[in-house]
Amino acid sequence: MTNEEIFRKLAEFETKGITVCLATIVKTAGSTPREAGAKMIVCADGTTYGSVGGGCGENQVRSAAFRCLLSTKKPELIEVDLTDDLGTKGGDVCGGRMRIFIEPL
Amino acid sequence: MNMISKILAHLAQRKVFCLATTVDSGDPQIPVGRKAIVWPDGRMEETFGSPCFDKALRDLAVKALAERESDTVEVADKVHAFFDILSPDAKLLICGAGHIAMPLARFAREVGFMVTVLDDRSDFAHPLRFPGCEVIAEDYAPALRNMPLGPSSHAVVITRGHEHDSDCLMEILPKETAYVGLIGSRRRIDFVLEELVRKGISRERCKEVFTPIGLPIGAESPEEIALSIVSELVCVRRRGPQQAQALRAAPGGVQ
Repeated sequence: MTNEEIFRKLAEFETKGITVCLATIVKTAGSTPREAGAKMIVCADGTTYGSVGGGCGENQVRSAAFRCLLSTKKPELIEVDLTDDLGTKGGDVCGGRMRIFIEPL
Repeated sequence: MNMISKILAHLAQRKVFCLATTVDSGDPQIPVGRKAIVWPDGRMEETFGSPCFDKALRDLAVKALAERESDTVEVADKVHAFFDILSPDAKLLICGAGHIAMPLARFAREVGFMVTVLDDRSDFAHPLRFPGCEVIAEDYAPALRNMPLGPSSHAVVITRGHEHDSDCLMEILPKETAYVGLIGSRRRIDFVLEELVRKGISRERCKEVFTPIGLPIGAESPEEIALSIVSELVCVRRRGPQQAQALRAAPGGVQ
């Protein structure tokens, strides 16, 4: 999804009065699947729009988004580590790290 | 107007700007998650309520805008802001709504292009054939004359005949574009390009046209050709036209 499509989707939710989480990659180091600025919307029912890179990293983002939507209602900055050893089962082995900002909108 | 509506309005105007968001803060005066828009000339929409912080943030955002680099920066002691450089979506204009145009429009939408399809035949340039695209059924030349193109515009010319190709290119090439591609056999292409030069388009501009179109992946079916064109578009958008030319020049590539 493009930035315009993400913001249009956010506007749609806002009009309907539905709070969703926006996750944005705000810092990367080493090899990461997406660059700073990549965005994903996470809804309370688990629906997502866009992508911050997929895989296990994205699961971490979803958990943080649920935490934010269902309990804290506060923005959160999380660190996703993709430096698991090669061959790790279900591991994130891209080799980099990314910081993802998660905010309720 | 709230922040999201403002952002959408600016993007619709095809503007480039910085959306600054505080992502962590050790300063109780500066809340996390607060946003401001910063323009390349330093104008700000919304502030963080501290003139000193606003100024530091504005200067850093202007620098990030000049470098076109989205990144997180320490704006003040223990306060970090993410500078998101927002620019309008890349546009793809497809001239000719035939066999290749359908998978081309579909794949290009998937990778994030806003697609416009133009053909002078209304049964080909039909919205049902191109979901999610702007579809224009008009004569090529007048429609293109009134169409704004710019540095984020990509044009693919795949009409049914070389006379239409040359009509389209006569309108497109004088405008600024990120990419222009032309389909066709060597013979047809040479004929079209020679005609354009005769009609006053410079040889340098004609040399910028990607033709034969698409990265040389051995594409044969319409879907494969569409994929090779979209690969070229992605390369131009992410790595620039030189890289796309270099890939074409690879051994076994475009002759």
